[in-house]
Amino acid sequence: MNKEEAVEKARNDLAQRLKVDPADIKESVEDADFPDMALGAGESGEMSGQMITRGWRIRLSAGGQSHEYRADKNQVRLFKYKGKNYRI
Amino acid sequence: MNRNNFVIHLALAIVLILVAAFAGQLAKWRKQWKSHISIVPAEQKKRGASTTEEIALAETRGFGRPEVLVKFKSGVSRETIDELMWRMNDRVEDRIENAPGWEAIDDLDNADAAATVAQYSSMPEVEYAEENYEISLSQTIEVRTAVTTYQPLRFPKDPLFGEQWALANSGQRGGKEGADINATNAWAITTGSEEVVVAVLDSGVDYNHDDLKPNMWTRPKSMDAYEDEDLGPVDDEYGFNAILNESDPMDENGHGTHCAGIIGAEGENNIGIAGVNWKVRIMPLKFMNAGGYGTTKDAIEAINYVIERKKAGVNVRVISASWGSTQRSRALEAIIRKAYENDILFVAAAGNASTNNDRRPHFPSSYNVPNVVSVAALDRNDQLAAFSNFGVKSVAIAAPGVDILSTWLGNAYEEKSGTSMATPVVSGVAALVLSEHPRMSVDELRKKLLASTDPIVALKGKTETGGRINAAKALE
Repeated sequence: MNKEEAVEKARNDLAQRLKVDPADIKESVEDADFPDMALGAGESGEMSGQMITRGWRIRLSAGGQSHEYRADKNQVRLFKYKGKNYRI
Repeated sequence: MNRNNFVIHLALAIVLILVAAFAGQLAKWRKQWKSHISIVPAEQKKRGASTTEEIALAETRGFGRPEVLVKFKSGVSRETIDELMWRMNDRVEDRIENAPGWEAIDDLDNADAAATVAQYSSMPEVEYAEENYEISLSQTIEVRTAVTTYQPLRFPKDPLFGEQWALANSGQRGGKEGADINATNAWAITTGSEEVVVAVLDSGVDYNHDDLKPNMWTRPKSMDAYEDEDLGPVDDEYGFNAILNESDPMDENGHGTHCAGIIGAEGENNIGIAGVNWKVRIMPLKFMNAGGYGTTKDAIEAINYVIERKKAGVNVRVISASWGSTQRSRALEAIIRKAYENDILFVAAAGNASTNNDRRPHFPSSYNVPNVVSVAALDRNDQLAAFSNFGVKSVAIAAPGVDILSTWLGNAYEEKSGTSMATPVVSGVAALVLSEHPRMSVDELRKKLLASTDPIVALKGKTETGGRINAAKALE
């Protein structure tokens, strides 16, 4: 998965969660180093390799709220959405 | 004195004269032999090109070989490199396939290598440059230190060893000379043993990697296949895959392969790197998937496998666990305690959140079980890595964990950072100790590791020992 594909996946996920048109979602993306292989966004019951992992921090905003997704070539995760992390 | 007594006394006198003459010659030979051994002050002990001629055998510039190794920044094109070569009147002697971005460069003007390095280092296209040293010494050299103890050094022939600062920090790439685990001293005592098995509980291991293959564990033909009460029989020829509950632990991520190389990439084989152990047996266990994450349940399943194999007669004494989370699991804690009861050390990553584990625990490294050794990460300047967790009560020890070069999928090598990388360094030292002291109990082994550190200022008040693991001390 490349950066564009990861952003697309995140955008579609947020559109579904918020029930909005993906075109109405604003984005900003930056390269980032995450603390582990769950990108610092591990789900409950999940263990991850403790290796610094290069990926992308994707900030999406819609309806006046901002949400953070984290992605690398293997995965996309939603970080602390209503207090929980999700692997999507 | 009768005639017989005279003959006996004469014979005795001749024997005594011959013995004395021989002893005198022996002393002379000994003196001559000693004059060929260089006695080097402690401050010259470190591994570098600036030591005496004898030590310099370890790292000598060769003739007809490339003089400098240059790593170009990612994105620098082939055409740009060729243009630079033309401008410098140099040529690329070799591209190092398994170390992306590295070029071995021959200076056609035969200029001083240090000057050539300086020229390349100043170029915006270059990440770093260094002299190309040939590491050719494989025998031991005795070096007298200030405390008059003998500290031999032993260097492997592995071509990328010069990049393994964790094992021998000569100040390469701006590091601090001597900020390493003192592996070259340890290797003069032991380079490991095929009798010691280390379980790498991770994303599996690429057991076909050329630098790992000879050191991989395989189930002895005389031993029955693994049989789990719930899963039934598993043909665990190469280890165990707890995700699919099957036999194949092939790594699809690279993380487990990296950790395995740190513990036991084959040494002295003229390939790639050297592990902390040149000889060891690595048991690959897979519970994390291609993304590098897995479930607590599968981790437990894999630890259970290790315990069962130990009971079946496999000499698996160490589990290396470069993973974790902040969620506590009583089931995971219980199985680690079970491993303790079976004399198995559990070395675990302290975590990468830059937080204090005394206040916000990280598991499994924070379990209060006697076989757990929690490991923080140091950089090449003996500083606690910016990402590393710490905890004077809950993090036992520190080891190198930044820019660590090790094996990767597809016969490659990559540099990675994390307490994931520091953990197998300590697991590797534990295996070295066990190769020398096979009967050492898990309690004794843990105690030995924690007593074998060099005090580091940056770790004061940060870890239980306040020190960096020293492999040579652990073998004393």
